Amino acid sequence: MAAEKQLSREEFDHLAKLLGVDGEPAYLDELFSQVRGVFIGAKRIREIDVSGAEPDMAFIPPTD
Amino acid sequence: MDTLEICYMSAGDLSKLVQNKEVSPVEIIDAHLTRIEATEPVLNSFITLLADESRAAAHQAEKDIQAGRYKGPLHGIPVGLKDLYNTAGVRTTSGSKIFDTFIPEEDCTVAARFQQAGAILLGKLNMHQFAYGPTGENPDYGHMHNPWNPEMVTGGSSGGSGSATAAGQCTITTGSDTGGSIRIPAALCGIVGLKPTYGLVSRWGLTALSWSLDHPGPMVRTVEDAAITMNVIAGYDPKDVASAKVDIPDYTTALTGDVRGLRIGMPKEYFEAPMDPQVRKAVLDAISLLESMGAEVKEVSFPMFNQSQAISSTVLMAEASAYHRDLLEKDGHQLYEPVRQRLEAGLFISAADYLRAQQARALLDQEGRRLLDDVDLLAGPTEPVTAPELLAATVLAGEQEIGVVGALTQYTRPYNINGFPAISVPCGFSDAGLPIGLQLAGKPFDELTVLRAAHAYEQATDWHTRRPPI
Repeated sequence: MAAEKQLSREEFDHLAKLLGVDGEPAYLDELFSQVRGVFIGAKRIREIDVSGAEPDMAFIPPTD
Repeated sequence: MDTLEICYMSAGDLSKLVQNKEVSPVEIIDAHLTRIEATEPVLNSFITLLADESRAAAHQAEKDIQAGRYKGPLHGIPVGLKDLYNTAGVRTTSGSKIFDTFIPEEDCTVAARFQQAGAILLGKLNMHQFAYGPTGENPDYGHMHNPWNPEMVTGGSSGGSGSATAAGQCTITTGSDTGGSIRIPAALCGIVGLKPTYGLVSRWGLTALSWSLDHPGPMVRTVEDAAITMNVIAGYDPKDVASAKVDIPDYTTALTGDVRGLRIGMPKEYFEAPMDPQVRKAVLDAISLLESMGAEVKEVSFPMFNQSQAISSTVLMAEASAYHRDLLEKDGHQLYEPVRQRLEAGLFISAADYLRAQQARALLDQEGRRLLDDVDLLAGPTEPVTAPELLAATVLAGEQEIGVVGALTQYTRPYNINGFPAISVPCGFSDAGLPIGLQLAGKPFDELTVLRAAHAYEQATDWHTRRPPI
C-alpha cells in the first residue's frame, strides 16, 4: 500500500489532482510536507492493535 | 469604586454588589468599556465591540434590578463570546473576512442562556481563523497578543477570550475547545478555562470545527466564576444531537475548599514528554500542595496518551475538511494559508484511516475510564511550555525544540478524544513572568470533582490574583 512507505512527491501530485487541490508551487511544497505528516500519523495509528475495538464515532452521552 | 477594581472583580463578587445595589450594571459596563479603550490597541481581543448596545442593556438591567426584577448572579455582568457563537443581529465572523457581514437571525443556545440570565454582551472576541490553530493568529482581524507580554501568543484558538479575561476587558468569556482551544489560552494567559464533558454544553449555533471533538465552555478568572457560568450554560438542548440528558447540579456546591480523600493520579507519560523545567517544577509543586491539603496522590500509567496526537489529528483533520469542504472549494483562496493547508491536508485522509483512528479513540477512552476507576482526577501540566513568541514555528521545551502546534496541544488533546471534563487553573509563573497552568481532568459529567479540586488549589494560592502589566 502506498501509505505504508513515505509518500513521494509524484504520488502527492497525483492525489492532489484527483482531489481537486491546486495552488502555487510554494504552497504545494508546504502542503506536501503537511500531507506527509498526515500519512506518518495514519501509519502510526495502523500500528496500534485495535482488534475488538469498534470505531468510537463520538463520546456518546446518556440521553435517558 | 475604582473602575480598574471593577474590571478585575470576579463575577461572584460583582454579583453580590449588583444584587445589593452597591454597584450598578451601568458602572460595570462603563468601567469595562474604558478598560477596553485603554488596552485594545495592544491586545486586539475583539472583532466586534458592542459599546452602545451594552450600555443600553446595562441601563435596562439597572432599571430591572431597581424594580426588584433581579435575575440572578449573571444579571448585569459583562460577557464576551468567541466570534463563532451565533448572536442574533450581531455579526459572527468565525474569524474570517469571508463572513465579515454574516449576521445570524438566531442566538446560539449558549448566547440565549446568557441573555435569559441577564448577562450583558460586550462584544464578539477574536479567534484563530475558524478555530483551526492553537496560537491566536488571525491576519483578517489582526493577531491576538498576550497581556503578560504582547510579543507572545495568547494561545488559541480562543485567544481573544484569553486576553480579554486576563486583562480585565470582560468578566466572563467563552471559548470552544476541539484540541485544547479553551485550556491553551487559559494556561498561557493565566486564567481558568473549563472544557466541560462532551454533550454537557450545547454546541448548537456554533461554527463547527470537528463535530465529535468540539466542546464549548467558560473562560474566567476564578473557579467560582466557572461554576457560576456552568450553572447558566450547562444542560440538555434538543437542538444539539449530542446533547446529554443528565441532571445538572448546582456547580457552586463543589466549592468547599476541601480535597481530603480525593485520589489524584499523575500519568507518568506526561512527565516523560518534552517539558520546560520551570513548568515541570510549578506543576509538581501544585500537585504536592494538593497532597499536603489531604489529597492522595499516586503515579499512574496512561500509555495511550502517546497516541493521542495521531488519533486527534486524524479525526480532527478529516472532520474539519468535511465540514468546510464547500467553503474550501468556493473561497479557499481567501483563507489564512496555514488554515487552508490544514483543511486541504485533511482531504488526503482515507475513510479507512479515519475509522482506524476512531477505533484507537475507543481504546484511549477505555483506558481513561479504567484509570478513573482507580483515581478521581488526572493531574499534569496544561502546557509543556509558557507562551511562545508570536508566529514562531518551534518552541524550546526543556532541551528539545519542538513544533508549536504539537507542543501546545500535547496535554490537551486526550480529553477532546474521550470527552472527559478538564480544567486549566493558574499554578505559577516563569522567570520571564509568563503564566503556567495546571490541568485537572475527571470522569464524564463529574465537573463537581474537577471544580472542587481546582477551587481548593486556587484558594490555597494567589496566582489568580496577579494582574498582567498592561
